[in-house]
Amino acid sequence: MSFRHLWAVIRKEIQHILRDRGSLILVLITPTVVLLLMTYALAVDIKHVPIAVLDYDQSPVSRQFIQKITAGDDLDLYTSAGSMTEIENLLLRGKIKAAIILDPGFSADLFSLQGLALQVVIDGTEPETGGFAVDHIGWRAETFANQILSTQLQASGLAVDTLQPIDLRIRAWYNPSLVPQVDLVPGLLSVVLGFPAFSVALTLAREHEHRTMEQLLATPIKRIELLLGKIIPYILAGLMNVLIIPLFAMAWFDVPFNGSFLVFLFLSVIFLFAELSMGMVIGVFMRSQSAALALSFLVVMFPGFFLTGIFFPIASLPELARMESLFLPGTQYAIITRGVFLTGIGLDVLWPYAVMLLFLGLVFTGTAALFFKKKLA
Amino acid sequence: MTDNAFIQITDLTRKFKENTALNEITLDIQEGELFGLVGPDGAGKTTLLRTLAGLIGITGGTVLVAGTDLVKNPEGVKSQIGYMAQEFSLYGKLSVLENLQFFGELYNVSSSIQKERIPGLLAFADLTAFQDRRAANLSGGMKKKLALACTLLHRPPLLLLDEPTTGVDPVSRREFWNILNNLHIQGTTIIVSTPYMDEADRCSRVALIYEGRIVECDSPPAIRAKMGAEVLKVITDDWRKARAVILGLPGVQDVQSYGEAIHVLVDSVDSRSPIIKKALLDNRLDIFEMREIKPRMEEAFISFIRKMDQEN
Repeated sequence: MSFRHLWAVIRKEIQHILRDRGSLILVLITPTVVLLLMTYALAVDIKHVPIAVLDYDQSPVSRQFIQKITAGDDLDLYTSAGSMTEIENLLLRGKIKAAIILDPGFSADLFSLQGLALQVVIDGTEPETGGFAVDHIGWRAETFANQILSTQLQASGLAVDTLQPIDLRIRAWYNPSLVPQVDLVPGLLSVVLGFPAFSVALTLAREHEHRTMEQLLATPIKRIELLLGKIIPYILAGLMNVLIIPLFAMAWFDVPFNGSFLVFLFLSVIFLFAELSMGMVIGVFMRSQSAALALSFLVVMFPGFFLTGIFFPIASLPELARMESLFLPGTQYAIITRGVFLTGIGLDVLWPYAVMLLFLGLVFTGTAALFFKKKLA
Repeated sequence: MTDNAFIQITDLTRKFKENTALNEITLDIQEGELFGLVGPDGAGKTTLLRTLAGLIGITGGTVLVAGTDLVKNPEGVKSQIGYMAQEFSLYGKLSVLENLQFFGELYNVSSSIQKERIPGLLAFADLTAFQDRRAANLSGGMKKKLALACTLLHRPPLLLLDEPTTGVDPVSRREFWNILNNLHIQGTTIIVSTPYMDEADRCSRVALIYEGRIVECDSPPAIRAKMGAEVLKVITDDWRKARAVILGLPGVQDVQSYGEAIHVLVDSVDSRSPIIKKALLDNRLDIFEMREIKPRMEEAFISFIRKMDQEN
């Protein structure tokens, strides 16, 4: 292998990236922007769900109950309705997502210790929001009932402790507040770093499209010199994203970074090698940029989303998809990024994933070199 | 045909699926020749040049370039060759100078030798003033000259040029051929394909390619002589009518029109011109001019192709 040839291709490629606005945006800005957009789109906390109340009880206790239910910022009292018809109207017009109906015997039932029935109507067209409202109403109703009962028991001289049911407290490690972006950002990193792979596929296809491949193949350059010269500039560009995105994630989304930055950088280089090699395989087979782009979406981006375990657990995938996910560099990298960012684990735990990435990179590069002929036809 | 020809092509065949692009071509080219490939579009000129450049595989036969077998060792000859593709195939985003340097690196020309040769090449191609301009912003003729300069930096003994002057204005075309003549004088072997017959006339030897086969291969004067026809130039007041009248006459092989004039290809001008003259006058055509002219490559070319078509 001639380093002169390799360097000539690398330098030419970098000059191209710097002089072509489209290429520059695709490799340097797109990953960060897409990560930002997707984090905002996907990490939504449900808040301020509008609800209505239909209070047939009209007692001090029912009014107190309504006040307690809507005390937080999760549920907002849109209005106190006068009839079921009004509630139906509000639901149909989308003004409210849920309604609570308090029966005339609400306070009597509450004090009877016979159990309390609470009717909640939700807008089934938005099951996510409706389910959220039901959970929160139930949870607040229970708290309220417990408070009322303990006050009553105290008044009647009984020990309050005896009433305590099982107190289940879930504690989420590494993301104690279960803030969605803390988990999303490291996962999405493995998706958005697929964009440099697009660039590799495009740059190879472009040589064919612009006929420069013909002139290039007529020179004594070796296949591996050309392929490595094509991938290395984009690995460097990808590394710039690897530097930008964590800083961005920490400053903007308060994502913790518990691991070693050097380990992260080292593993990122191996991941980029594997991921961008996929782009190289695409570029070797596609003779036009549009075809290379379409195939990149199909092979790099969509599986990156759905098969790497970021949104859907790999264990729940069908068997064939599970096998595919194993061969996606993004799967290994998502484990690495979450590990380094959130749990702070190091190479002692992560080395098998690094080995797998290296293996995938060599297989993809080998495939590309095997099928890349120094011939036009 | 000598054993030590610089390029020896024997029974070269190349098929693309159903289509035979090159059909058992046998051809020797000597060192230092300025060799022309002429033929209609799709005849196989580009395929032959790409084969010699090692860019496409062959279906059968052997090709030896400077003693190296192109099938066994296609990479072995690439440093010996300067290949210029038909379409512009340099990097538009790179400047003139950067393109030259890039190809210099790929052909292993050391940077000190590059520094030494590039100013000369830029001057030679008349591009010194444009060395920092991006290749995409050059005119058609300048692009062709830059492409040629890029193939010359490593001083290859063999130049393969695929229609280097197509789409270039006449002045640039002449400049380009002056450059080729200089290289020819310096001893570079040049194989050039061209659709222009005046360019074919400037080659030391020409091969006429048609439907993947070599129809004729000789020096331009010899090819004209082989045509076996003499040319009578006739100008009348109605060339369409004159053409129709002459076509059926005995001894007339072909009638080609050139504006108002027609060129009549006959077996013998001396014996046939009285008959032609009589036929024209009988049809009440006014003859403004009628004289024998030297056959040009163009006539020879068209005549050969028509003969081939009739034989098929």
